[in-house]
Amino acid sequence: MTQSLFEKYGGFSVVSKIVLDLYDRLLDDDEVGPFFDDVEMARIVDHQTKFVSSLMGGPASYTDDQIGKMHARLTITDAHFDTLENILRETLKDHGLAPEDVEAVTAAFEARRRLVVE
Amino acid sequence: MSIAAINEQLLRAIGVGVALLDLDTLRLRFCNDTFREWFGEIEVGQHLLDLFAGFDVEALKESLNGEGRYTTETTFRVRRRTMTIAMAFNRALDGDEAIAVLVCQNISRIKELESMIDSYSMMVERNTREIKREKEQVEKLLLNMMPRSVYEEYKTFGVVTPRLYDPVAVVCLDFIGFAEMVTAHDPGVIVSELNDIYTAFDRIGEQFGCARIRAVGDLYIGVAGMPDPTEDHGQSAVNAAVRFLRYLNQRNATHPIQWTCRVGIAAGSVVGSVVGVQKYIYDVFGPAVVHASRLRYFAGPMQIVGNQALIDGLVGEYATRPCGQVELAEGREEDVFAIEAEVPLPQGA
Repeated sequence: MTQSLFEKYGGFSVVSKIVLDLYDRLLDDDEVGPFFDDVEMARIVDHQTKFVSSLMGGPASYTDDQIGKMHARLTITDAHFDTLENILRETLKDHGLAPEDVEAVTAAFEARRRLVVE
Repeated sequence: MSIAAINEQLLRAIGVGVALLDLDTLRLRFCNDTFREWFGEIEVGQHLLDLFAGFDVEALKESLNGEGRYTTETTFRVRRRTMTIAMAFNRALDGDEAIAVLVCQNISRIKELESMIDSYSMMVERNTREIKREKEQVEKLLLNMMPRSVYEEYKTFGVVTPRLYDPVAVVCLDFIGFAEMVTAHDPGVIVSELNDIYTAFDRIGEQFGCARIRAVGDLYIGVAGMPDPTEDHGQSAVNAAVRFLRYLNQRNATHPIQWTCRVGIAAGSVVGSVVGVQKYIYDVFGPAVVHASRLRYFAGPMQIVGNQALIDGLVGEYATRPCGQVELAEGREEDVFAIEAEVPLPQGA
């Protein structure tokens, strides 16, 4: 069985740091941050944890249907999606993921664009 | 710089929020920069309730008058971030005046981590449940293919050592006119009937200690006395076979399709092993299987025929009668016996 990126980079102990860092960066960003204005902290963290875990092949996976439903009420544009993609890329890079792995994760993210962008 | 000045500088700059309150009036006497940063522009002299609406003042007073300490948490938003601050009030004296020292720590990160651990552990627990369920399904499937002891061996060592079981009793059963039945009826009907019958046989076998090893088309093979050897393996095999016949008989009385079987039972030895590498199957083969199979051809409709070794092991519950000689092993004729099962023949058989 091939090793997932989640396992390759040390499992939850490392991924947890990526999740919290991403959480900080998203909330600090004035373009995508406002999406979280009225969302409870526990809910944001829960989603970020599952989000990163599923992109890296950890113990979570969202079906396309779930992703679509979760974002259905939000008006997300391509620009928002690009911003989030950049934040994700930078965060992963800063946490020492190899360039090809950063690309693999962002490609997995990119593949979901049509599910959330209006 | 004096010690007092250094102290004050330290108190102001420290990453912990500090404030002093007059205990009688609950008005602010002092607060440091961190406290202001968290709770906004605060004036000395403001009341605690102005700072924190809905604060439980009674509980605070009671605790401070009692053990002298009170702790609580407060949550608010700074921009879109949820901040959680742990507050600890300690009673102290400033000269003669009773004051409360309020120390505040930012525990937002801890709360975020707690949420993340909750989220992660729920994911892991759900996965664990799924894996357990899958494992149980695989186990169930494998237990259908092999006895539990063999499965345990396979699970532990990854291989199964072929083993000689001697003596056991093998039951071979098939149906007379099966080929014609298959062409005469809808395939779905035949399969469904066979399913019913084999399920019943399996249940009977389980009850009497005669486990099914194989069912290929209309051939059903069960073995008694393995994997754990039993002295009454012959009796178990006959007990099961007699019930197979009774079951079929009862079934025939109420179903349009009539099933007529013949049964051969042989006591002897077999080898049990997992055969195959990619598509492995637990199989039993050897003299007892071959002999039971030959005895089956010698049995009439709804009749059980056994070899000498089997009859020797029976304790007399069943009436037996010699019914001729069969060449079971090469070049050697053996006496064989019909076992009275008292089962009437189906209509038209």
